[in-house]
Amino acid sequence: MIFSRIWHTVRGGRRLPASVQIFRQARRFRDEGRLEEAAALVASGLLLDRENVVGHLLAGSLHAMLREMAKARTSFARVLALEPTHPRALLGLARITLEEGDTEACVELLTRALTRYPDFPEAKALLDVAQSLPHHDAAKRPPPSVVVRADRLRLPVECREALLARADATLMFAQPRGLRTEEVAARAAKLCRIASAMLARAGLGPLHHAIIDGAAETTYLRADGEVVLTLAFARDVKAANARGHLERVWANCRAELAHQIA
Amino acid sequence: MTLASPPESTNTSRALGRDFRGLLGQLVKLEHITGGLIVAPDGLLIAAELPRQLPAEPLSALAATLGRELELRGPQLRRGTFPMAQFLAVDGTAFLASTPVGFIVLLGDASADWDATRGALRTAVGTLHRAWAG
Repeated sequence: MIFSRIWHTVRGGRRLPASVQIFRQARRFRDEGRLEEAAALVASGLLLDRENVVGHLLAGSLHAMLREMAKARTSFARVLALEPTHPRALLGLARITLEEGDTEACVELLTRALTRYPDFPEAKALLDVAQSLPHHDAAKRPPPSVVVRADRLRLPVECREALLARADATLMFAQPRGLRTEEVAARAAKLCRIASAMLARAGLGPLHHAIIDGAAETTYLRADGEVVLTLAFARDVKAANARGHLERVWANCRAELAHQIA
Repeated sequence: MTLASPPESTNTSRALGRDFRGLLGQLVKLEHITGGLIVAPDGLLIAAELPRQLPAEPLSALAATLGRELELRGPQLRRGTFPMAQFLAVDGTAFLASTPVGFIVLLGDASADWDATRGALRTAVGTLHRAWAG
């Protein structure tokens, strides 16, 4: 009886709090891909322990996996309120600010993370990208000094959309042009920077061109570090034909730009 | 089973869809593919088979950022729509596919074929989708 009591006390003393067990289980579920179950467990764990850093961090990770970025932002911010230099929360929040186009906030968060943890390869890689992106938004960007005419580019009739921008996201040409064209140009330039950084890290050299399969069309991209050209085609256009068009229009773009500078 | 062939059964497919290392192991056997990784949208590295000289962490951070950027390109792209892309450089190529779990990245030499790799990636994305959609 006495031994039984001692055993119970020892065992009870070693038993982890319920919230810790819940978060461990939630992490297992997340790693197995059972995201909704993991999220439900984390929510129940946070009801028991509202200030648990692990719980809020897991919640942030799960929201990001479920592409619920506003909720992920709230969770990472909660972690940072509890532990201001938590590296994973700083990285998670930095990633979201980069997505939202707030480069300055992203750089600030990653710098904070690297000041506390200098050996943080993910943060270093993202900081390199963030620092290479233009800090000013489209509204503040100076107007392009070079205007490219559509007839000089000889766009193929199959081309649905064409866009030419500088690497700093300054729009030089777009057809058709709408309210979101400047934003699309900024996204194309940003995509080039991130892809170039990834290719460089993989030891493959700078980005030359890209093919992006979307839901309705395929976008062909050509870049050289100074300018980026994108042409969108219907998905049934053959890749070889589209790439032929891309190279021809790219050559026309470069000739036109060289002519204007001269 | 090869990734280009149809799944043997729903259960087999579902099991493979949750076995990320197995799935990636099959993809990196494709001709001219030299390595790859599977990364969650928050940058969490799920599985990696990379050449020894390439550290996985910086690549996973950039792959997740690039994958999200692709997902955000069009307002019509939400969870359930999975873009795919190829990025070509002078010395090789990278393929990226968006999936419910995150992103598959394959690295290849300059001869890696878009159509063949895209076909295998589509099969892999389908396998993951079936497994993760329950």
